[in-house]
Amino acid sequence: MPGPALVFDRVSLQLGGTQILDAVSFRVEAGALHCLVGPNGGGKTSLVRALLGQMPHSGVIRIEGEVTGPLGYVPQLLDFDRNVPMTVNDVMALLGQRKPAFLGPARSARAASAAALERTGVASKGNAPFGGLSGGERQRVLLAQALTPAPWLLVLDEPTAGIDAPGVHVVEELVAELHARGVTILWINHDVEQVRRLAQCVTGINGRVLFHGAPAEVLGRTRSPYAVEADA
Amino acid sequence: MTPLYTFIRDHLQALAASGSLPQPFQYEFVINALLCALLIGPLLGVLGSMVMIKRMAFFSQAVGNAAMTGVAIGVLIGESFTSPYVSMFGFCLLFSLTLKYTQHRTSLPNDTLIGVFLSISLAVGASLLLFVSAKINTHVMESVLFGSILAVDHTDMNVLLVVTVICAIVGLPLYNGMLLASLNPSLARARGVSVRVVDYVFVVLVTLVTVACLKIIGAVLVEALLLIPAAAARNISRSLGELVSRSIVIAAFSCFVGILVPMQFQLPVPTGGAIVLAAAAVFIVTAIVRATASRFRGASV
Repeated sequence: MPGPALVFDRVSLQLGGTQILDAVSFRVEAGALHCLVGPNGGGKTSLVRALLGQMPHSGVIRIEGEVTGPLGYVPQLLDFDRNVPMTVNDVMALLGQRKPAFLGPARSARAASAAALERTGVASKGNAPFGGLSGGERQRVLLAQALTPAPWLLVLDEPTAGIDAPGVHVVEELVAELHARGVTILWINHDVEQVRRLAQCVTGINGRVLFHGAPAEVLGRTRSPYAVEADA
Repeated sequence: MTPLYTFIRDHLQALAASGSLPQPFQYEFVINALLCALLIGPLLGVLGSMVMIKRMAFFSQAVGNAAMTGVAIGVLIGESFTSPYVSMFGFCLLFSLTLKYTQHRTSLPNDTLIGVFLSISLAVGASLLLFVSAKINTHVMESVLFGSILAVDHTDMNVLLVVTVICAIVGLPLYNGMLLASLNPSLARARGVSVRVVDYVFVVLVTLVTVACLKIIGAVLVEALLLIPAAAARNISRSLGELVSRSIVIAAFSCFVGILVPMQFQLPVPTGGAIVLAAAAVFIVTAIVRATASRFRGASV
């Protein structure tokens, strides 16, 4: 059974008096791998934050279909004091259990957490300080947390930005695997080649919808999604 | 709870009389204060580590200052001079919730906003205290500002116990959510955490703990005891578990030392000051340990 469809219907939002999104409407099909592209400041992350209920907006964001599990979310970065003594296992516990993380991993969550870290290639880092990891390793941990428990909808906010080639490969492999399982994936992505290779559908956003459709149709042969804006 | 307090006190006093415990244990008020310290340690240890991670030290200072206004209001409306808890809890909760509400609705940086609120509460508190100072003796003022174990009675112990129970029942199940909300609100939201609700709950818990600890530590120094044990523990911790457990031990240890040492050596130091000095000494030791032990130097980047 595929994950749910997502409908953005005339979504508008303002931040500090500036119009960030203006009547953005598009649909993410159930079980699709859907990419959002557009320039920095174009409103992609704001749209995701609105989806998560973090930004007040007008218009409707609707989830259509059966919701059978949690929403997985991989943020662009985890803005925190890197000197705070917190291990990778602490971060996984913080995100994956009700028992206070300082009391250690819950028995029920331990196996799933270890498997997710294994899947993203950072199993050996469980007891390492999270703040001491490289950017790529941190991103893999954030990806691992989104896999526990198995999501029905996965929202990725530039998970491959600033990570090395093996890291990108892990992310692509995982995304392909989840897509094959029917998980609906909404992926903010700047890599046009990656979008062209992996996505079923792409929406270009810069305050409004610039284009929407199959990557081969709307991206053409451009290397930059911003070039499409001029053609749109 | 009075029979339980009496039972514990009688036993400890008997041990002190037989020479098994130091001489200060003969005094009822010392045992009362030590029983409070047993609760304050875990309370400040757990909450303090979160205050540090969430960078809200300045906020607890503002609440401490608001408590002075609460005391003055209590005296004005005829509450007990020594335990004006209705006014203190009432005013401090109003103060902290208004501050949080404003925080959510302004673009001012957090430290600026807290600074504004802190200044207002200090000004109002100082003015009102001077206004009511004729009605109360200076020892009451001193105990509010710097803490006094002489002033700790069963009411204070009961208040602290109730606040501890509330923190355990409300705070522990929401601990992960409260921490997550400060690390990444969107991620917290995706995990089903109501970010705004846990923000308000945390503010309420910090306020309750600050007011409940006031009699022992004092309005001026209560923020220090929320912060210093957590900062000292951070120097020698590599995980969240180590941070919280060591923070609890350091907070409890500081309270015990700060209460007992001035009594034992008859030093004219207010309890709050002695407790904070003990915590500061531990902080210095842990800072040296961190600087010299590679295990802890490697814990951060």
